[in-house]
Amino acid sequence: MDKPKLNIVGQETRRKDGVARVTGQEKYTPDISLPRMLHGRILSSPYAHARIRSIDARPAEEMGAVVLTWDDIPHVRYNERIITVPSVLHKDHYVLADKVRRMGEAVAAVAAETEALAEKAARAIRVEYEVLPVLLDPSEAIKDGAEPIYDTAMWGTNEIPISGNIACTRNVEEGDVDQAFAQADVIVEGRFNTQKIYHAQMETKSCVCRPEPDGGLTVWPTTQSIHNVRILLGQIFDIPLSKIHVKKVPVGGTFGSSIQMNPPIPICAALALKARRPVRLTLTREEDVHDHTRYAGEIHLKLAARRDGTLLGAEMELVGDIGAHNIQAYSYLGVSIGWLVSLYRLPNVRYHGTAVYTNKAISCAMQGFGNPQVTFAAESLIDELAEKLGMDPLELRLKNYVGLGDTFWGQGPTVRSVVLSDGVPQLLHRGAEIIGWEHRPKPGSQTGRYRRGIGLGRGFHTSSAGAPQPGDVIDFSGAMVKVNTDGSVDVVTALMDHGGGTLEAIAKLVAEELCVPLELVNLAPAETGSTMYDCVTHATRGVYAGGGAAVKAARQVRQELKETAARFLNVMPEALDLRLDKQSGQGVVYVPSIPDRRMTIQEIATRCWTESWKTIAAAVSFRPTNCPPAYVNVFVEIEVDTWTGAVRTVMAAMGSDCGTVVNPVMAAGQLEGGLNKGAGYALFETNEWNADGQVAGGGYWIDAKTAAIGETPRLADFITHFADTWEPTGPHGAKGIGEAATNPVAAAYANAIYNAIGVRFYELPITPEKILRALAAENASDPH
Amino acid sequence: MLPDYDSLAPATWAEALAALAAQPDVVPIAGGTNVVVGMRAGELRGRTLMDINRLPELHGIRVSDGHVVIGGGTTVAELLASPAITEHAYPLHQAAAAFANPLVRNRATIGGNLVDASPAADTYPPLLVLDAEVELVSLHGVRWLPLDQFVLGVNQTERRPEELLRSVRWPLAPERSAGLHHKLALRKGTACSVMSAAVRVDTDQLGRCTAARIALGAVAPRPIRAHEAEQSLVGESLTEVTIRRAAQLAGQACRPIDDVRSSAAYRRRVAEVVVRRLLTAVDLELKEGAQA
Repeated sequence: MDKPKLNIVGQETRRKDGVARVTGQEKYTPDISLPRMLHGRILSSPYAHARIRSIDARPAEEMGAVVLTWDDIPHVRYNERIITVPSVLHKDHYVLADKVRRMGEAVAAVAAETEALAEKAARAIRVEYEVLPVLLDPSEAIKDGAEPIYDTAMWGTNEIPISGNIACTRNVEEGDVDQAFAQADVIVEGRFNTQKIYHAQMETKSCVCRPEPDGGLTVWPTTQSIHNVRILLGQIFDIPLSKIHVKKVPVGGTFGSSIQMNPPIPICAALALKARRPVRLTLTREEDVHDHTRYAGEIHLKLAARRDGTLLGAEMELVGDIGAHNIQAYSYLGVSIGWLVSLYRLPNVRYHGTAVYTNKAISCAMQGFGNPQVTFAAESLIDELAEKLGMDPLELRLKNYVGLGDTFWGQGPTVRSVVLSDGVPQLLHRGAEIIGWEHRPKPGSQTGRYRRGIGLGRGFHTSSAGAPQPGDVIDFSGAMVKVNTDGSVDVVTALMDHGGGTLEAIAKLVAEELCVPLELVNLAPAETGSTMYDCVTHATRGVYAGGGAAVKAARQVRQELKETAARFLNVMPEALDLRLDKQSGQGVVYVPSIPDRRMTIQEIATRCWTESWKTIAAAVSFRPTNCPPAYVNVFVEIEVDTWTGAVRTVMAAMGSDCGTVVNPVMAAGQLEGGLNKGAGYALFETNEWNADGQVAGGGYWIDAKTAAIGETPRLADFITHFADTWEPTGPHGAKGIGEAATNPVAAAYANAIYNAIGVRFYELPITPEKILRALAAENASDPH
Repeated sequence: MLPDYDSLAPATWAEALAALAAQPDVVPIAGGTNVVVGMRAGELRGRTLMDINRLPELHGIRVSDGHVVIGGGTTVAELLASPAITEHAYPLHQAAAAFANPLVRNRATIGGNLVDASPAADTYPPLLVLDAEVELVSLHGVRWLPLDQFVLGVNQTERRPEELLRSVRWPLAPERSAGLHHKLALRKGTACSVMSAAVRVDTDQLGRCTAARIALGAVAPRPIRAHEAEQSLVGESLTEVTIRRAAQLAGQACRPIDDVRSSAAYRRRVAEVVVRRLLTAVDLELKEGAQA
């Protein structure tokens, strides 16, 4: 497809909020201070599993604190994440704990004049607990006789029993799997284990709430979805949505941790309603560390192939550790098989997924939502298969990957679309060239202290969860674009920017469509009352779906500009075109055949104003009807020190097919960040729990060990590159990038380590210790 | 969240010592990088914090009388920036460079690191191989203790509640001496040690070892010297064989534990590797020095 020429999209530009962010002037939720504001604190459970016998709040109240306990909250069970449609949504959560199911769960909360007094008051509350056995391992939790973490939960509008601590299951079967395996020449299989890790977003979860005289609420939350926070608060507190105003506040990173409404938000709202004063509530880092992690679990994967490398089918069994609450386990089970069948063409597939409750921090989406886990398993097995077949792993991937024209259902069985843009061959060949794929060593052929290896991981993420028909995932966006009296433009959107530059991209897409300079496009402050609904900024959908909405609105504005200018210029609107006049720095509406018949957008807007006519504006909803894969592949060259087991990244080549690259430097930054987070996940990050259910290290960051800048290869040794593609359903040809950048990284490291030392690892993280142990075992069994 | 506490800010050294003598539960606080973290975790060491940052007696790095002397309030960032430390205490310079991150280095002090006495405290191994002594001062007087005697166990030292650690000193190294430090952590910055080690070897004109020091962190309840390993080198030239033997003995000296950062077995194993690597590097440095 011929790509249109772009003026602004694709240029390196400085982000509008950059100066405010790096100079400390940006105002995040904890920076917000209101007149007469109280300070909230949560009384967290010191136990991971306990019944609450009694709560005596009098000591706290005697100190002048407002105290919130079970008796003060609406007894409404809800799910913090409402992206799954209500009919299949599991709900097991209350504003305060009915029973304690993880360490740090909110048992009560207080608000007081100072944070110190609030803390003192919280500690003065007397709680009697009946301590219950703590279940940390899913295989223990599902055993007969294991202490039940839940008796029931809501599923849709029905109360369902929970037995065996199984939150939900999901099965998928397509084609004839038994026949596929019977006909296979080669079968490979493995059991892959992945760990829970903390999101390690910079800003801990936080909220400010102000009760309004009309019985409503104004809320400044840490969130990825202001509209879903509004809906949930409306449901829990039975307030019409028109009286709930949720403000869009810059967020200090999330990595997915604020897709769901954070626990402090409804607690803060309840405190504010009870106190009749504004309240601010911010989690400490230790509280935040106990609040959320990535999904962990065991994946048992089996692939069947013909001798020529054609994949025939797969069987996958997943047992996921979802922690103390079910936030999106049903979706997680659904996407996990989606990731597999959308990586490689697998006409016959059987899948059984089980989500198990444990007394640990709550699992939720984190950069990839199950995708890094499945890709680690699949890409490891594809390498094993290539070795068995004697094929180049790169060729095996090219032969089987889901690409142009194939059906793709990354976001689960109900979200199906067809791939319309595909840069995979370009990316793989270019990456192979950069890393020197042809010269990679033979696995296990080296003997010295330092052993080098090259590994490949390929993957993708979905750009949104869009599809032609509605499924079990809600996915649509909205945007408003209006032209001001001086020709500058306001964009009003509920989308959030988690740091990756999503909103910057939105501004550029609108500037491109309207032919106005980027500096004249304003990202207007926004709240629920002034924005169209947007489900949530997640699923690598910001640029693709949110940008799609903005471009749809801008396109209507563009048409109205033409129609308005047509009247002023006395020509037919169809005869008009728009261009960016670089000399005047203005967008111009003009008649191509009559050069002097033209007006700048400023002239049009000013005249609409002074002639008391109108504001040129459009407000739209937009539902993506496609879900294009944002492909990424990563080649890493690593060096294993066989004396200490340490792995060093020597070089990395990372390629992305994100369609049109909206901002090359920021897109490269996404890839660099993706490698960094992925390397930490692959090599050392883990959250472990002691027998009491406390995160080892107590929640202090010193032992969280997320990868820092020192773990990134020098930029000279880290090459990023982009496919030359155009997504026909995307805004100006763009797709997503964010989560895709981290999904294949762990697999690439596992494959590189195998290439270096001839040992394959099925469990993350691949720590120096595990490497030494494996090498020692190998030496012991080696007769030489 | 911080529990309640009282605070003192003595203007003079005498005032500080008097406050310590009067109230046994006063906790001196300098950078606060351990004290505050402990308070947040509910480990209140005393109800009253005494800010000692502004006492001039605790500051300064100087070389005199054949010794390097540094004030107990010297921050790790100041150590890192000091040419005297780079020249006369290179292992300590290396440890300062590997210490946490710039923010913590700006706050944390050498005295605090020693008094806190974490088994993983970064400055212990280099100071142990430098033969450092600490100066403890109270209203009753002044006493100097070799660092090896000062530290007792996890967060335990010989410091009495009424004493302040005023300074740390060590003799200038003789000619033909070299020392190095290495910290092994799960990532490069802002990380607690899995284990760390420092070595120092003094040699005669023939290149034979006259004295050796090998110190290890995070492999026992307190930072330790590997005396048998040190003794095995005395009178010997550094060769692959003598280095390997010393490294093995150093590994055997470890009494490590399993914890969130590493297993005991891994610590013992890498202690040997790191000591071997450091001795090999020291040998190279001594040979290069002899040629120059």
